[in-house]
This record gives sequence, structure tokens and C-alpha cells, in this order.
Amino acid sequence: MNLKRRLLVATMALGFVASAPVFANAADLIAIITPGHDNPFFKAEADGAAARAKELGYETLVLVHDDDANKQSQLFDSAIAAGAKAIILDNAGANASVAAVQKAKDVEIPSFLIDREITKSGVAVSQIVSNNYQGAQLGAEEFVRLMGETGEYAELVGKESDTNAGIRSSGYHDVIDQYPDLKMVAQQSANWSQTEAYAIMETMLQANPGIKGVISGNDTMAMGAWAALEAAGRTDVIVVGFDGSNDVRDSIMKGGIKATVLQPAYAQAQMAVDQADKYLKTGSTGLDEKQLMDCVLVNADNAPKLETFALSN
Amino acid sequence: MLKPFFLPVCLVAALCLLPACKIVKTDQASSDETPAGPEGDETRVSLIVEDSFASNVIPNIKSTATDISTLQKAVAKGLDAAGDAYGVRPSGAGSSWNFAVTGKGKIVAHNLTSRAATLDLDTNSDGQGDIILQLGPVVKGSALRDVSPTYVFTNFRDQIEFAKLGRALNTAALAGITPPAGDPSGKTVTFVGATSLRSASDPIRVLPIELEVAQ
Repeated sequence: MNLKRRLLVATMALGFVASAPVFANAADLIAIITPGHDNPFFKAEADGAAARAKELGYETLVLVHDDDANKQSQLFDSAIAAGAKAIILDNAGANASVAAVQKAKDVEIPSFLIDREITKSGVAVSQIVSNNYQGAQLGAEEFVRLMGETGEYAELVGKESDTNAGIRSSGYHDVIDQYPDLKMVAQQSANWSQTEAYAIMETMLQANPGIKGVISGNDTMAMGAWAALEAAGRTDVIVVGFDGSNDVRDSIMKGGIKATVLQPAYAQAQMAVDQADKYLKTGSTGLDEKQLMDCVLVNADNAPKLETFALSN
Repeated sequence: MLKPFFLPVCLVAALCLLPACKIVKTDQASSDETPAGPEGDETRVSLIVEDSFASNVIPNIKSTATDISTLQKAVAKGLDAAGDAYGVRPSGAGSSWNFAVTGKGKIVAHNLTSRAATLDLDTNSDGQGDIILQLGPVVKGSALRDVSPTYVFTNFRDQIEFAKLGRALNTAALAGITPPAGDPSGKTVTFVGATSLRSASDPIRVLPIELEVAQ
């Protein structure tokens, strides 16, 4: 079965987003598997990885697991069947994904993880994750400054099953809790969701009309909160998010949301492809398996330089 | 089927027997029974700090510390070259360079009342502050952890546990230094510590493990 045919089989079997044109001389294939592209963060990852892989002369197979570990497992089967030489993965669950990555390892296909960790080391070759704690501290420092170190605030937390929700919240509190005049009057999970954040923000405002600031575990929840604040005529409230999405960038530039923290999703995916390439050519990445990538504060000063999860110089 | 009163009777009987048991705590139990999840982090991390801060982190920083003026000159020519020569970057290109540093300078500004207390030092006698010593209790970064090769992220459960280690090391360092009393302006400070730099234009913020203010 030639590559074209194998790709076709993979396409028919599973949700298939896009692939590189098949070259006359079959090049090595890299599979890129992420959550759904309706969240621009994951689309930026997939685009970053695919662009880098093509630059380095690979063909790509871009797939989405929609945060479904069973689907992810099937996608691994399909990547293996398609003859992928390496897999770039933003996984569908820290525990549930270990088996899929192990399955690829068993047939000597190395996996390079981005964004989220898995609970076991020694299975993937690389795990490159954003330094969420460092990023949350940057966001919290800016929040404290904007709040003038005093006042009532609310926190919107991400999905509890996601490590990134807990680490961001603890990064926020390790800074904010040092300021005794900053009082958290409400804290609730909005599950990373814009619509949930909107509804929760409405309720929080009714119960706590004195709220002066909202710190949010990601940008989609920050957007939901901001929409609710606008609807209630409370655009005086300081909102800080996390991710560095174009939506929040635009809001910052219009004087809405005040700040966010950029996770370099695009560069992270490219770095994973670089490590895959080095590993395939030399048998080693030369780096530790687990790597932290620093986040960058984005506010009115540098927002215009932000595009698709990357800051231009 | 048991009659409804039977269970309470059993419980009371069991409670009466309890004083006869002696609960023996063994030393081994404390480390072996620490839960692997986040609920065990505090215990585990404080054991790690106890085991390694004085015996490993401090001697490593002292023996690898670069003189601050040497580092500043090197950074001015390019951060990556300075990092290759004097720093460590365990996470590779996406993270900051970490440096162990030592030096001496005159206090040109200070903020000792803030929760994030600092001293600005002039280390090259040009009258301007060129490094910031962090005195806490709020400090930025995890330079102590990241400059220490003994701590490898891969060996930790996840970012949460690793972040707690960074914070605990900062706390351990701050516990070992005495901030200057009164108005320290113009006094000379010698220090040993660690700093992280993301770009050559970043201000150099040092978390000291040793701090001495000349009287």
C-alpha cells in the first residue's frame, strides 16, 4: 500500500482535518494530533507544527481527538498504520493518554507532547509544556498592580480535571494572597467555557456588586466575563485572562480586558517538530524529556505585536 | 438481618476497646506513606528541601557563582553566549537562562515596606542601580530551583509539584537572610544568589542565599 493510499484509508476511517500535498518522492510522515481546532489555541499548535514539518521536508497528517481518549487511541492506530515516523501530540487526558503513547512507543514511533503533560515519564520522548505557574504569577503581578493592591475580586477557574486549571490558580494565589487588602469574594469553575463564564459572572455581580476585578484561568472565560460586565454596564471592572488569544488582544486594544498571559503555542509546536526531527536523525533530542516553556505578559504595551499565539519582535 | 440497634452497640464496644491499642508511629511511615498526588506535595517537597537545600543548592551556587560584572559584560554581548559560558537552561530554548551570581554593590534605592521588598544595587559605581536584590516575602521566579542540576522536572509528577518545590526553595533562602534594618541607603552589600534572564534587556533580579550589609 503506498502512502497516498494509506493516508486515504486514515482519512476515511477518522475525522481528518488537512494534510500536506503528497510529494512525488514519498517523504517521511509526521502525525499531528490535538484537541479540536474550534479553539484557536489548538489550531495554532497544529498550524505551527505542520508549517515546521513541511519546512523540514516532512509530510503531515493532522488529526483531532476532541478531548476524547478513545478517539485519540484510534488516531494513534491510524497514525501507526499510515507509517508515521513521529507523533506530535496535545493529549486528551494526563492519565488516559499514557496507553496511546506507549502503544506508539512499542512499535518504535516516538511521541513529542506539547501543552499538556501525561502522568508517566519515560513513555514520550519529549513533553514540552508552558510554564503555567510562571505565567500565572506574571498575570497575578499585573492584576495586583492594576488593582492598586486593594479591593474585592472574583476568580474564574478552569476545568478541574485539567492540571493546567489547578496550576494557574495556585500561581495566581501565591502572588495575590500576599496582599491582605485584596479580598476574593467569589471563586468558581466555568470549565474553560465562555458561555458558562458569562452566566457565572452575572450571578457573581449580583451577589457581590463591589467587585473591582476578575482574574480568569483562560481567555475564553475572560471573554465571557467581560461580555457579562459590559452588559451590566460594569466596564470599570479589571479583567485579566490567560492564553494570549487574538480575541483578548483585540479587547485589550479597545480598552476592555486589561491583560493576558501568552502561551507560545505556535513556537511550542514548532519546537516539538524540531526535537522530533533531531531525534529521528540522531537518536536523541539532547534535552530532558520534560521541558517548561516560559509565558509572556501581554497588556496594552505589547498587544499590537500579538498574532495567533506568537509575539513578533 | 441485624437489628437497627446492633450497629451502634458494636461501635460503642469498639470505641471502648480503643484505649487498649497503642498506635506506634515509625520513622519510615512518614516518607513511605506520603500520598503520590497533590495532597502529599507539601510533605514531599519539604523533605526534598530539607535533604538538599543546605547540602546541595547552597554549595552548588557558591561554587558556580559568576561575578556580577563578568556576567553583565557577557550578557551585553548576547544572552545565549553568556548562558553557554556561565548559565544553565535545563528546559532548553523555550525557557530562561539561570545563573548563580555573586557581587558587591552600593544600595541606591530600596523598598523594604512592600510585600515584595527589594534593594537596588549599583555594582559598577556609575551611580545607577543595575541589579535588584529580592527580599520577599513575594519574590519572582524559580531561579534557585532552575539553577540547581539536582532538580529535574522529568522526575516530578507534574508542574504543580515542581512549582511547589520552586516556591519552597525561595522560602528556604529568604529564611536564611536578614534584610537590613533602618535606612540602608548608601550602605555596601555583598551577596551570593541566583537569577533568571529571558532576554538581555531584562533587569537582573537576584534571589540571595547570602546577604551581608556592611555597617
